[in-house]
Amino acid sequence: MANPREYFRWAAKLFDPSRLHEKPEALAGIRVLDLSVIYFGPAPADYLGELGAEVIKVEMPGQGDVTRILGNASFFWQNVSVAFFCANHSKYHVGIDMHKPGGQALIRQLAARSDIVVENFRAGTLEEKFGLGYRQLREVNPRLVYVANTGFGQWGPFSQGRASYDGLAQAVSGLTAITGEGEIPTKIGNYIGDWFGASMSALAALAALHWRDRTGEGQFVEMAQCEGLLRAMDWTWLYAGLTGRDRQKAGNGDHVFAPSGVYRCKDGYMAIVAGTEREFKGLCRLIGRPTLEQDPRFVSRETRRQSASARALDALIAAWCLGRTRAQVEAAARKAGVAAAPVMTAKDHAESAHLRERRSVWEHDDPVYGPMLEYGPAPKLSATPARIKWAGKPVGFHNDFVLRRILGLGEARIRELSAEGAIGQWADGRRGACPPGSWKGEGRLV
Amino acid sequence: MSGQPAGEPQRLPWAAWIRAEEEPSAIPDRPEALDDLMVLDLSHGHYGALLAATYLAELGAEAIKVEPPGGEPARQWGPADASVNGEGLAFVAEARNRYHLTLDLGTREGRRLLKGLAARADVLVEGFAPGYLDRFGLGYRQLGRLNPRLIYVACSAYGQFGPLAPGQPAEYDLTDQALSGLLHVTGDPDSPPVKVGSWMSAYAQAAWATVATLGALHWRERSGQGQMIDVSGAEALMRYLDYAVLLYHATGQVRGRTGLYEIAVFPYTFVRVKDGWAFIAGYTDPNFGALCRIMGRPELATDPRFGTTLQRTTMANELQLREEIEKWSVDYTAAEILEKVLADPGPGIVVFGPMNPPTRTLAESHWWERGCFRKLADPVYGELLLQMPAWRMTRTPPRVKWPCRPAGYHTAHLLQRYFGVGPRRLTELRDHGVV
Repeated sequence: MANPREYFRWAAKLFDPSRLHEKPEALAGIRVLDLSVIYFGPAPADYLGELGAEVIKVEMPGQGDVTRILGNASFFWQNVSVAFFCANHSKYHVGIDMHKPGGQALIRQLAARSDIVVENFRAGTLEEKFGLGYRQLREVNPRLVYVANTGFGQWGPFSQGRASYDGLAQAVSGLTAITGEGEIPTKIGNYIGDWFGASMSALAALAALHWRDRTGEGQFVEMAQCEGLLRAMDWTWLYAGLTGRDRQKAGNGDHVFAPSGVYRCKDGYMAIVAGTEREFKGLCRLIGRPTLEQDPRFVSRETRRQSASARALDALIAAWCLGRTRAQVEAAARKAGVAAAPVMTAKDHAESAHLRERRSVWEHDDPVYGPMLEYGPAPKLSATPARIKWAGKPVGFHNDFVLRRILGLGEARIRELSAEGAIGQWADGRRGACPPGSWKGEGRLV
Repeated sequence: MSGQPAGEPQRLPWAAWIRAEEEPSAIPDRPEALDDLMVLDLSHGHYGALLAATYLAELGAEAIKVEPPGGEPARQWGPADASVNGEGLAFVAEARNRYHLTLDLGTREGRRLLKGLAARADVLVEGFAPGYLDRFGLGYRQLGRLNPRLIYVACSAYGQFGPLAPGQPAEYDLTDQALSGLLHVTGDPDSPPVKVGSWMSAYAQAAWATVATLGALHWRERSGQGQMIDVSGAEALMRYLDYAVLLYHATGQVRGRTGLYEIAVFPYTFVRVKDGWAFIAGYTDPNFGALCRIMGRPELATDPRFGTTLQRTTMANELQLREEIEKWSVDYTAAEILEKVLADPGPGIVVFGPMNPPTRTLAESHWWERGCFRKLADPVYGELLLQMPAWRMTRTPPRVKWPCRPAGYHTAHLLQRYFGVGPRRLTELRDHGVV
C-alpha cells in the first residue's frame, strides 16, 4: 500500500501545470462557430475552446457583443468592460453583419467548414430573420451539431415572445424560492443560470459529437436556461410530488446535514459542516466541547438536524469562531477532520497559491491587453489539459485570418464585402469594441 | 418575418417543426448518444460524483453503481419529513438509470471483481478523499495500467494536486460554495453571505466532470489513450463567478454582496407585485425604454438619473429606480404584468416572470408539455415525480429509463454477465460478505 504523500507526489507530476502547454488538446481539429451574445451562448463556445476547439466568434461590425459595454463606469479597462472576457478566450473574432446577403453567405460558408454552431437568439430568429437556422445550415453541412440556447426552449407556451436572463431563470424555476431565508427574495450573486446552463450546453454538444464520431450524423441540440436550473434542484420536485408541499428555505443550514452554517470570524466568514458522526465528534473537540456528542440533543444525525438542536449547535460554533481568524479556524478544523472553508473573495482567489498552482486562477500575458488574471478551466485533464491561450479581442480583430485563411477569400472579394458593409471591424473610439489606446498593432495574424 | 424564403416549398414553421423533432413521447424510439459506454460509479457519500454518472447514464451509458453491502451513505440523504422505501429523497431523485452492484472493496475478492470491471470500463467516477482508492490499489495509477483507455474522474473539494490538496476535508456543497466565492457575493451587504438553496456545487462539478469526460472520450477516439480528470466542486462553481477576479486584477475592486441590486446591469432585480414577488429586467437602452413605456412612465427613459446604462448602474440611482418600478408593480399581479410585457410592440424587450415556489412551477403547463417533469409509477418505489434530463437532442435524446433501485439490486445479473458467476458461486460470495 502506497503512502498518501507518495500519491500526491505522483498526482502533482501527472498534472504538472508547468508542462501543460506541451500536451495535446482534446478537441484539436474541432471548429466551433459562435453566433451568440452575452454569456449563455458565448460561454459554451468558450468551454469547448478551453478543451482545444478552434472558436470563431461572429459579431456585429462596429459594436459587437453587449458584454463589451456591460457594467458601471468602474468596469471599463483598456476601452472595454472587464465583463467581456470571462466567456471569450482564445477565440478568433470576426465582424460579419448577418443582415446583409453577403454576410449571410459568409455564415453559410463558415458553417459548412464547422463542426458545431452555437447560438442564443430567441427561438426561430436565425431561420426566420436571417435564413441561417438549423434547417438551412444542415443543408450545407449534414454533420453539423447545432446548439441553440434560450430561456424557455424552442417551443412550448413560454417560448414565444418571452426573453430570459439568468435572474428570470432563478425566479421562475423555483430556485429563488428555496434560497436564503425570510420573505424577501435572495438574488444569487452571479449569473448562475447562464454559466450552469452553458456547461450543460457544452456537455450536450460533446455528447452529440460522440454520436457523430460513431455515426457521422449531426443533430440539433437545445438547452433552456430555466430548465437547467430546474434540473439542479436535487430533491425539490420529488418532495413536492410526495407531500404536495414546497421545500422550505433553510438559509445556510441544510435539510440533510447539521450542523451546517456560515460563521463570522475576525476577518471574514467561515462555512462549517459536520455531516458524519466522525466529523461531528471532531467538531465537538474542535470547539472545546467534547461532551456535546453525548448530549441527547446531538447524539445522532436525526436529533442534530431538529431545528432546536441545530440552532443550539449554531450558537456554540458561532461563539467559538467569533474570536478567531479564518486561517486559525481552517487550520484547526483540518486537524480535527472537520470540513471548514473560508468564504473567499476575488482578492482571496487572486492571492491563493493553491488556485494559482492549479491554474484555476490563470495568469497570462496578452498581446493586446497585457497581463491578465482570470478564472481558468475548471476540470483538470492529465493528458489533454484545458487552457487559456489568449484573451478576447476587439470586434473583427481576426477578420483577415478568418476570411483569407479559413475561407480562402481573395483581396477583391474582401473589398466587395467590406464596401457592402457585410464585414467590418471596430469603429475607432467606440467604447467596448475597439482596441486599447496604447495598442500598436501587436497580435495581428495576417 | 414570414419565415418562408422565396422559391422553397411550403413547410412547417420552425416552432412546429422542432416540436415534432423533439416530441417527448417519441424519445424512447430514438437511439442514445452514449450507449457504447460503460461507466463505473464509485461515488460514496458524494453527490457530485453521483450526478456525473447520472448525466452519462441519461445520455445512454451503462452506469454500474458500486456500493458496499448495505448501501452507500448517500442513500440516507434527504429531508427529515419524507422518504421513499426508507431511503433519502436526494438519492432517490438522482440515482437513476443505474445497475446497482454491491461489492466489499475491503475484501481481496471484492477488489478483484472491481478490477475486472475497470479493465472493461470506459469511465470511472469517484469522490473519495484523494489517494484513498490508490491505497487499495484501485486508483488511476493502478487501473490506468490495467486499462490504458480508461477515463478516470476524481471529484474532491480541493483537487488531487496543489498545496492544499493533501489532508483536505470531505467535500460539502456549503464549503464548496464558500471557497468558490459565490457565498461572498450572495445576500445583503450588511448581512452574512447566503448560500444557493440546492446543492448547486455538486451539479456544477458533475457538469464539468462530464464535459471533461466527453472531451477526453473524443481524444481517445483519435489517440486510443485514456486519462485522469480532476474536478474540484469549489473550482467548478468558481468558474461561474463572472468576471470577479479580473475586476479585482484590473481595478482593485473586490466584488461584494449587493442584495437585490447589481453592479453591472440595472434594472435586473426582484420587485413586489400584487401577488408576491417577480423578476424584472430591461438594462440596455432600448430595453429600458420598453420598460418605461410599459410602466406608462416614458419620461424615466430620459431622466438624468436613469437615461444611460452608466447612470442606471450607480448604486444611488439603482435604489431610486427600483423604487419607481415597485411603485408601479405592486398594483398588478405577475400575470397582469406579463400580459403587458407580451403586448408591448417594441422596440426593446422586457424580461419578466414571477418568483415561483416549486409547487407553482409544477402548476405551469409549459414544463410538463416540454417533458421537464414526469411521474413514474415504479414497481419498487411507487409513484415518483422526477425532473427529467435538461437537454433536448433531435437524434439522440437523453431519457430516464428507470429510477433508483435498492443497493445490490442487479448484483446477480452483473456478476453473471461480466464474470460468468452463477447462483452457486454467488451464494459463496454472499456468504463471504463480498457482495
